[in-house]
Amino acid sequence: MTILINFFAILLIAATDTLASAYSDRWQGVQDPEHSNMIMQAMASNGLIFVVLGVSLIIWFVLISYLIRLEKKLDKLEQKF
Amino acid sequence: MTAVLAAGFLIRVPEIPILYETSRNLFFHVPMWFTMTVVFAAGLIFSIRYLISSSMRMDALAESATMIGILFGFCGLLTGSLWARFTWGTWWTFAEPKMNLSAMALMIYVAYFILRSAFDDPEKRAKIAAVYNVFAATTVPFLLYVVPRQLPSLHPGADGNPAFSDLTAPELRLVFYPAIIGFIGIAVWITQLRYRYIMIKLRAERGSAPTQL
Repeated sequence: MTILINFFAILLIAATDTLASAYSDRWQGVQDPEHSNMIMQAMASNGLIFVVLGVSLIIWFVLISYLIRLEKKLDKLEQKF
Repeated sequence: MTAVLAAGFLIRVPEIPILYETSRNLFFHVPMWFTMTVVFAAGLIFSIRYLISSSMRMDALAESATMIGILFGFCGLLTGSLWARFTWGTWWTFAEPKMNLSAMALMIYVAYFILRSAFDDPEKRAKIAAVYNVFAATTVPFLLYVVPRQLPSLHPGADGNPAFSDLTAPELRLVFYPAIIGFIGIAVWITQLRYRYIMIKLRAERGSAPTQL
């Protein structure tokens, strides 16, 4: 359930902040974060340090969610005995 | 194994207070791909060793190494996407060869697990999965390291130059190499966890089946 909610939250951000033409290779045509929506502005403040935070949080959550899944599987195995 | 793990966690701590802004991402995004390559290479070795010895131990090791490789590759894609949004201005672009080819390499490995789930007989599954893994692992160096360097791209490491050139500050290396070792250590640790889980499961299925019946 929480995964679904997170997924939709990401979709919401992506929908309000995505290139209209993904196939374009003109990098200059892209809007810079300062003229984007609020979340993007917050991310781009303080010398993009929140991007680093986001990157490390992504790694952390992917790894920890995998470990939690593994633990749940172990729980299931334990209950058989 | 414990030593590697301890080193991985101890060394990774002091890496944060160096330099500023998104160049710090070098310590997080790049080691993801390094670890993914290492773990996939380990998976290849285990698959070959399975084909030689056909012991289920090797199959379990190959399977868990591949799983952890996908995990780290996924991390690398997501972090790269976030980083690209703020430096290149877009989450994803089809003009960038490294992005798309690495996604393709991951797809090939996801197919490995789809293939595995298609077989009920563990021996048959292990054998076909091992053969497929040899194929999948041979595509990785080309998709990630050969082809992107021949194509024009914004990603560092394109156009034939190595990613770590003179435009990278030398201080970064001090943290970068320990970060790689640390992340590989974590990957080895998680791989072992999964391997142990699979072995216990195998033993449980074999051992308890007669008593439960």
